[in-house]
Amino acid sequence: MSAPLPPYGAPQHPTQPFSPSSPMRPPAQPPLHPQLQFANANANPALGRPGMPPPGAPMAFPRPPIPGQPAPAINQPPPGFPTQPGQPLARPPMAPSPVGIQPPRPPLPGPGPAAGAGTQPPMSPVSPVSPVSTQPPAQFQQPPQPQQQQHQPKRRMYPGEAATAYAQSASGPLPPPPGQEAFNPQQPGMAPVMQAPPAYQQFSNGPLPPSFHQQPGPAPGGAPPSYQNPLPHQQQAQGQGLPPQDAKYPNVPSAYASQTSLASVNDVAGQVANLSLGGVAAQVPTVSVFGASPYVQELEGAAGLPWIAAGSSASTTPTSHPHPSYKTCTLEAAPASQAILNKSKLPFALVVTPYRVPAEGEPPVPIINPEQIVRCRRCRTYINPWVQFVEQGTRWRCNLCYLTNEVPSFFDWDSETRTSRNRLDRPELTHSCVEFVAPQEYMVRPPQPCVFVFVIDVSFAAVASGMVATAARTILDSLDGMPNEDNRTKVAIVTVDSALHFYNLNSALSDPQMLVVGDLDDPFIPQPEDLLVNLSESRTQIEALLSRMGDMFRNTQQSQSALGGAVQVVFKMLQPIGGKIVVLQSSLPSVGPGALKAREDPKLLGTPKEVTLLNPASMFYKQIAVDCSRAQVSVDVWLFGSGYNDVATLSGLAKHTGGSTYYYPGFSATRPDDAIKFATEFSHFLTKPLGLEAVLRVRASRGIKMTSFHGNFFLRSTDLLALPNVNPDACYVIEMEIEETLQSGVACFQTAVLHTSSNGERRIRVVTLALPVTNQLGDLFAAADVKAVTTVLAKKAVERSLDYKLEDARDALVNKCADIFSAFKAQSGGGGASAGQLLIPSNLKLLPLLTLATLKNIAFRPGPQIPSDLRSSALALMYHYPLEMVIATLHPRLYALHVLPPQAGLPGSDGLLVLPPMMNLGSDRLERHGVYLLDNGREIFLYVSKLADPQLIQALFGVQGYDAVATGKSALPALQNDYSIRVQAIIGKIRQTRLTMFTTYPHFYVVKEDADPALRMLFMSHLIEDRIDSVWSYSQFLGHLREIVAK
Amino acid sequence: MALFGEAGLFLFAVIMAAVLLFAMVFFIIMFSDLELDYVNPIDLCSKLNQFVVPEMAAHAFLAILFLFSGSWIAFILNAPLVAYHVNKFINQKHVYDATEIFRTLPGHKRECFVKLAFYLLSFFYYLYRMILGLLNDS
Repeated sequence: MSAPLPPYGAPQHPTQPFSPSSPMRPPAQPPLHPQLQFANANANPALGRPGMPPPGAPMAFPRPPIPGQPAPAINQPPPGFPTQPGQPLARPPMAPSPVGIQPPRPPLPGPGPAAGAGTQPPMSPVSPVSPVSTQPPAQFQQPPQPQQQQHQPKRRMYPGEAATAYAQSASGPLPPPPGQEAFNPQQPGMAPVMQAPPAYQQFSNGPLPPSFHQQPGPAPGGAPPSYQNPLPHQQQAQGQGLPPQDAKYPNVPSAYASQTSLASVNDVAGQVANLSLGGVAAQVPTVSVFGASPYVQELEGAAGLPWIAAGSSASTTPTSHPHPSYKTCTLEAAPASQAILNKSKLPFALVVTPYRVPAEGEPPVPIINPEQIVRCRRCRTYINPWVQFVEQGTRWRCNLCYLTNEVPSFFDWDSETRTSRNRLDRPELTHSCVEFVAPQEYMVRPPQPCVFVFVIDVSFAAVASGMVATAARTILDSLDGMPNEDNRTKVAIVTVDSALHFYNLNSALSDPQMLVVGDLDDPFIPQPEDLLVNLSESRTQIEALLSRMGDMFRNTQQSQSALGGAVQVVFKMLQPIGGKIVVLQSSLPSVGPGALKAREDPKLLGTPKEVTLLNPASMFYKQIAVDCSRAQVSVDVWLFGSGYNDVATLSGLAKHTGGSTYYYPGFSATRPDDAIKFATEFSHFLTKPLGLEAVLRVRASRGIKMTSFHGNFFLRSTDLLALPNVNPDACYVIEMEIEETLQSGVACFQTAVLHTSSNGERRIRVVTLALPVTNQLGDLFAAADVKAVTTVLAKKAVERSLDYKLEDARDALVNKCADIFSAFKAQSGGGGASAGQLLIPSNLKLLPLLTLATLKNIAFRPGPQIPSDLRSSALALMYHYPLEMVIATLHPRLYALHVLPPQAGLPGSDGLLVLPPMMNLGSDRLERHGVYLLDNGREIFLYVSKLADPQLIQALFGVQGYDAVATGKSALPALQNDYSIRVQAIIGKIRQTRLTMFTTYPHFYVVKEDADPALRMLFMSHLIEDRIDSVWSYSQFLGHLREIVAK
Repeated sequence: MALFGEAGLFLFAVIMAAVLLFAMVFFIIMFSDLELDYVNPIDLCSKLNQFVVPEMAAHAFLAILFLFSGSWIAFILNAPLVAYHVNKFINQKHVYDATEIFRTLPGHKRECFVKLAFYLLSFFYYLYRMILGLLNDS
């Protein structure tokens, strides 16, 4: 606060907490907003009471919803309040939670009203929601508002807390009790409202005494007790008499209770009563998974709205929630204690894809370069939309550790232009996903340049398959697209057979020189310089080498490969700077350090001993990966198997260094499809954004502890992941547990990725997620996100298969699914009508299907047919894939092409291509004359039935009749008819999505009903609702689950 | 141990037990450091791995000494731990793996505490036997 005009500094008058900022407003603005005046007027009378929260303050922010539904009672310290003397901030758990858990559904209601408040007549009960949501941040710029908003949202959210804050400011730091007393005087007025507190108390304090359920409102008879804030959708579903808006703001009233005019009190009381109706759980319909085929279309649906209204955040903007693809939690409401989490059997984990590329139509992540990066002084949390401003906005309270920190003056005052600013316009307060440009303090050394070292296998197998030529060609073509914004990118090329070949690429040379190192026992760097060269300076030499590489080894007879030695030397080369090693390997490393044996043994497949083949054969690559990770070197492994590749061992290089593994079984560049697939993926890989020397740290609200992490990284400390490189594909799963009961109503999770972007800037990408806290088991079930749950369970199953055996992993999956059903049954009382059924809240109804899909995925499917390389690569991918890709892989999408809806294949109203509706994956769904497209994330199958309409075949393939259709890996001809164009557009869209999402360019297969039985079997193996080999069909699986649950 | 007599043998055993005890304390301190982020897992593992085999060897040596000197009770007390160590060594599970260390840390700590308790008890047992031996000698 060194600025001459401390914007939020010493408030002149307790009643006008926000007035300091007013002077700074441009004079042109109306001096005082009516609201404000009103507020002050109101405030003054109240002033007289010492230690009271300045009543004016709350009034100052009248937002539409509030006046409308002033809920009275809540502000009085309800029972929960006094019980927490230990917490200086006296955050009444009840108050926040109700607010926090605002019903999300009608999107963004929260922000709206708040934003609108400034411009709308203050107290009039405005019908809040609808207008608001459309009124975006723009409104925030209005002069009077900023003041209000900083505090407002907060207040709403943590009424008790805010009140204390004010109490403190008025009479010095007070321990909670005084603050409490301060409230009391008001209480008498609120008498009518008194029923409300129990409701909140219930929420905060766990199981209620039965009496609490008997609130004035119609209490749901058998509904499990739960907290009062009904979820929006549920409420709609119930169609209660309440106007939806009211429903959304159940808690608001509470927040304002002490300050609201009593007129509305009665309304509020009614509302509160209504709200207490059923908890969330009661409102999520419980469904039986029996009897109906799973409604798979839900897999494609957009994620539901967050459970906590964005309006509860500091800035009240909808962007206060991250896009779920960046970060999502298996539970949309955090459990208050470990006991309830254990009871639910649900996993509690975050799924984070911090560096993902925004999808089509999504806004980019804001990049901000503040004078100073504002962080909590104790826990180092970055300031985010979920902090609270307290003490007239001069300080902010960390939402993770609850320490209050100074708000720096530049938040409100632009010292360059000498004008005031609205702090709520700052992206770090409006966006939960932002990227800071980090200053010097965040660097231990100058930012690293992008470094690519290509280690290319040039043994006979590699050359013969055409891998070398294709790779060289692709690198050559991608040189322009590689990250090189500041001309610092460095490149080296090493080729390997039984010796190591380095290339001197000094820009002064007319031709690159090859240097051969044959001593594999003690491989060394042949010369200290010029092997790793600047891409821009030595461009000619690099191009010359690459364009010749395809032919250079054409006549090689070497069948051996010394990959281990090569990686060792390259690691030494990169140790001082760090970078990326790209290993392209066709044959098994067979000489020198790290030599491997062809250990594939078909007799072991399908037996418990199979797991030995899935674990690394030697510690060599793991060890070197750990060294690499430490030196900020990442390794990406591209394997092209004609024979056994030992994916299990070599993928270890990528696993611990933040890299990826790509596997092309039976690659041959003579098949255009193979070559195109590899070239497209490799080119995308080389040109996609890259974060270097990164670390990812996870922080969570006090009481939450991270227990384990899954993904490709090296865990450097209990909450710090070392990622030599971070790329958009990388997904990390963080499992958590509750160490101490959560007292506050909102739990926040912040992940920060400190990295060097490819333009040489040090950046921090911060993603903050806020979840309401619940201590009702029923809510936890209703809050579970089935896709995230499946993803987490699949990733844990990968770990389990490697630690124990595949069968254990499968059993664990089935048991987990059954446990969840049992836990829900126990929670909902069990017995009675539900005895013979499998009941589950509708949000989890796809759990059995997805569990079954996981069991049938190539990574976990039992049986001796799957070679260990294929299995290893499937496991490695499953471990690394982001959520969307896991779901797409587990549950392939099946589309019927012979009955395309009119819009399918054409751009929709939002400009994005419309895909046909997803179909259930059962062979009984296939019609005898159908044509189907199946997309499993990595491959696309076009299935043509024998009786398919010849006209359709003509339109699609350009051939006469079914018999003329060629089967196998191929491409569809681009024909100029509407049907073909639409189908091509669908395929193109799928491929594009997969490429940007996970650097995967799916193969395209044409499958005919009666030709090529192997291919047909492959297609059929994706129909997971059928019985496949020894694994249940969907209905059998449900029967099996029922048996377990009934026990 | 005819050479040194029972007292000599157990004097040696007491010293060894004390050394092993210290080794375990050292391990536990290092693990706590890791939890508190004072040490990096790679350093921790490379440091601890130097001591794993010597610790096992020292313990096995002690047990063999008991075997050959005919101190059956002492040998039988130590045999299970020797077997456990040998089993771990054969399965290559004795090395601390930096990539897995956080996942396996609770197990490692528990093991160290159990061994610590074992060495402590055996320390007193050896001490008792040593005194007994000294009394017998004199």
